[in-house]
Amino acid sequence: MKPPLKMLIEKYRNNLYTAAFNVCKSAQDAEDVVQDTFLQYWSQKKEFETEQHIRAWLLRVAINKAKNKNNTFFRRNALPLEDYMETLAFQSEESSELFEAVMKLPEKYRIVVHLFYYEDYSVKEIADILKITPGNVKVRLSRGRMSLRNTLKEAWEDDE
Amino acid sequence: MTNREKYKQAFSAVHASDNFSLEAEKMERTAKQHRFRTMAAVVAVCAALVGGAAAAYAADAGGIQRAVQVWIHGDQTAATIQFDGNGSYRMEYTDGEGHVRHQSGGGVAFAPDGTEIPVSEEDLMAQLTEPDVQYEEDGSVWLHWFDQSLDITDRFEDGVCYVKLVNHGEPLYMTVKYENGYATSSHKYVSPWEFN
Repeated sequence: MKPPLKMLIEKYRNNLYTAAFNVCKSAQDAEDVVQDTFLQYWSQKKEFETEQHIRAWLLRVAINKAKNKNNTFFRRNALPLEDYMETLAFQSEESSELFEAVMKLPEKYRIVVHLFYYEDYSVKEIADILKITPGNVKVRLSRGRMSLRNTLKEAWEDDE
Repeated sequence: MTNREKYKQAFSAVHASDNFSLEAEKMERTAKQHRFRTMAAVVAVCAALVGGAAAAYAADAGGIQRAVQVWIHGDQTAATIQFDGNGSYRMEYTDGEGHVRHQSGGGVAFAPDGTEIPVSEEDLMAQLTEPDVQYEEDGSVWLHWFDQSLDITDRFEDGVCYVKLVNHGEPLYMTVKYENGYATSSHKYVSPWEFN
């Protein structure tokens, strides 16, 4: 199966953007990543088995492209996180603090936490997407949670 | 509220820009280049065109038509390409079974300031002489460049394949990332970290 690009853009662009931003912490780079990811989907012949397969593939490509942005020597002048956060309409102060705490995690913990809590993926599914072992996912998730717990105190429950 | 609910609420504030639909339209146009590259593989400009432009093309109301030799999956084929001057083209050729085929497309480039620029004929021709990587439905991966067709399926290690190509004695070092593009250099293999 290969659903129309327009449908996938409507359905997944925010998910891809959020995942990409989570990795590269730059709104402009995240926009580029989303566009490049959909362009790659559109321009290649690859067929997919299910929509879940497509979703996982799109996220994997977007995350890899966002990592590549981080490895690029000539990075755009990214807006400082604090300035970018001022443009976001958080529903509560707690949400704002959680967002900031997550963005301060090391990248390798951040993306695992994001895929688990935002995309609802299991440890095994995250391992498949990131091409790392389930054990590695568990360690990163555990350390990410611990760091959030230390920063957010009672606002982040111990759910391990 | 659970941690998951808190997390989703916090990140629900993050959105892609509202003008993404416009970007999507640009993307469709840009992507035509990629589709053309996939379909046409490699084009070699005919000798007459290289030697003297006046002999090789004829202007008409629809644009400029050029006679070219097209390499399609390793087979050289005569074709005509008509450029409209606005970054679009229309190509006609006869395939190996005698059927007349048409292919059209085009593309845009972006200046450093974001201004959209139609792809020039020279840019299109330069791109058409680049290698083409085909991912077949049976899982095999083929690399086509001029008259060369290589099965590189088993040459990937950790998602990266390095291939040295030679055409008329000139080497081309190619780094292919599995389903994630490639980079070429006439001097050395480009590191996989240096490109998307």
